[in-house]
Amino acid sequence: MSEAITAHHPDDHDHHDHHGPESGIKRWLFTTNHKDIGTLYLFFSMIMLFIGGAMALLIRIELFEPGKVLLDPEFFNQMTTMHGLIMVFGVIMPAMAGLANWMIPMMIGAPDMALPRLNNWSFWLLPFAFSMLFSTMFMSGPAPSFGWTFYAPLSTTYGPPSTDFFIFSIHMMGASSIMAALNIVVTIFNMRAPGMTWFKMPLFVWSWLVTAFLLLAVMPVLAGCVTMMLMDRHFHTSFFNAAGGGDPILFQHIFCFSGIRKFTF
Amino acid sequence: MLRIRHWIGCLLSSLLGSAVYAEDSKWNMPYGVSPLSHEIYNLHMACFWVCCVIGVMVFSVLIYSLVKFRKSKGAKASHFHEHLGIEIIWTTIPFLILVALAIPATIVLMHIHNTDESALTVKVTGYQWKWKYEYLDQGVSFFSILSTNQNQINNLAPKDKWFLLEVDKPMVVPVNTKVKILVTADDVIHSWWVPSLGVKQDAVPGYINENWIYITTPGTYRGQCGELCGVNHAFMPIVIRAVSQAEFDKWVIEQHALAGTLQQAGLKNMTPDELMKLGKTEYEKNCAMCHQNTGEGLPPTFPPLKRSRIVTGPATANIGFVLSGVPGTAMQAFGDQLDNRTLAAIITYTRNAWGNDRMIENRQYTVVVQPQDVEKSRHAGR
Repeated sequence: MSEAITAHHPDDHDHHDHHGPESGIKRWLFTTNHKDIGTLYLFFSMIMLFIGGAMALLIRIELFEPGKVLLDPEFFNQMTTMHGLIMVFGVIMPAMAGLANWMIPMMIGAPDMALPRLNNWSFWLLPFAFSMLFSTMFMSGPAPSFGWTFYAPLSTTYGPPSTDFFIFSIHMMGASSIMAALNIVVTIFNMRAPGMTWFKMPLFVWSWLVTAFLLLAVMPVLAGCVTMMLMDRHFHTSFFNAAGGGDPILFQHIFCFSGIRKFTF
Repeated sequence: MLRIRHWIGCLLSSLLGSAVYAEDSKWNMPYGVSPLSHEIYNLHMACFWVCCVIGVMVFSVLIYSLVKFRKSKGAKASHFHEHLGIEIIWTTIPFLILVALAIPATIVLMHIHNTDESALTVKVTGYQWKWKYEYLDQGVSFFSILSTNQNQINNLAPKDKWFLLEVDKPMVVPVNTKVKILVTADDVIHSWWVPSLGVKQDAVPGYINENWIYITTPGTYRGQCGELCGVNHAFMPIVIRAVSQAEFDKWVIEQHALAGTLQQAGLKNMTPDELMKLGKTEYEKNCAMCHQNTGEGLPPTFPPLKRSRIVTGPATANIGFVLSGVPGTAMQAFGDQLDNRTLAAIITYTRNAWGNDRMIENRQYTVVVQPQDVEKSRHAGR
């Protein structure tokens, strides 16, 4: 590659600025480099670990002795809800995606992920999704406080107004996961170096291939689940409302189906 | 070699020792007082012992191999690939263990679901945040509400022995009787969980789940809600008093008499002082969980009653709201839950407290609500 460039510009001695990444914040905002994006994922995951961990500490302080110690019951429930979601969607999944971004291209001998711009987008959705989730803590009326499993009808009929932001942030996290999984599948299928046959592929790559397929199958179901919640809350449907002919257990079935992927990690 | 044997012996005895310790400690699942809880306990212990034996065997082989075939002793790894015999053995043995565990587990599950030949049926309904017990054949029905004082929760008073585990009216059942429990919910999903009776039954709105209890020892048994049901999930305990059949019959008669007395009292007028006194206690019991003792609520889910347009408005509209609730919100239809006397007292209290009385007087509405006003509204509502 570098030989080709040199061949095209044999006399251009001042031509330095197009090499290497862009400088400053642009490097991270516009990067399509799989290692940069992997680093972003890993740092994001670490920051979320500290935030979610601080929430866990608050929960434990409250449970230190009987009676009210520090938190109101409402805020306690918000902490358990936020802690659960942050740990699953903000820590585990980005950490895994970060490792996948770093390791998979190198392990299969590819120069980068198959879809570098999609890769950039699937990371940069996450900060917005989590900003939206955190913004619910500052809204009038409580932040979502129905546990990270958000069982209907506690999260639909009885959910606070901020639940809509919660739902939309889960949509965005889901979109991010789907794109990351898609990218991994395409990379593994198409970008293997010559000689890297299926059964020479490292175990890490195999496990990610399987996980990515599971994610692709399961995230749309979770998105459908929260969309049904949104419909129940605002458009007079009764998916999870027994009084309207719906079924609260349906929510648990759909949610637990999408929950299986958490155990596949 | 002797030392290694000694070491493995220590390990084995400590593993078994912990199992023996678990069997009689308060950290273990309770043995309980019902055939169901006994069965569940025995199943749990059987699985536990199977796990212990497997653990001891696996770790013994593992540790022995680590020590015996260590590199410093010059051990060389063998290089064989694929051994059909071993594959079959280590697939078959776990399969057999799982089947051996599944059979007793299925038997226990079938017993849990077998509610045949029950002598008494109690319908349990979960509400945010209380339980309703209905004795379908006896015609007795009441709500059971947390009786732990708010001051104890807020650390303003010393906590008594049954902190957050005491209710105003416990569920009463006769001993040595199979009682069928029909569990459902009115608003969100709750779970009726009494460990010493071996029952944890989800209460799902729109479903009626069946379970049963059979208490062999008279006494008081306690439990809690087992499914996050909102902000006061921790404040809806379950208390069951198991008494002799004779005492139970007496209790049923008392309940009927009590209902009659309340109905009579509902026809009499009360003095404002009486209403205020009763209203304050009942408000703190039934309303303060959401609307708070200060009347300021937890907006927007639980709106304030202080300066509320409804509470400071005309009395009939105010009564109507309390009787029928507000559909789609946490405000329940209290007409089905409380008698006229209590309702009148609560409404009078809320119309007087927190400066509401001045606003009402300025608008020239009545401040005091009598039981008969509530009775009239009930009929007007229909």
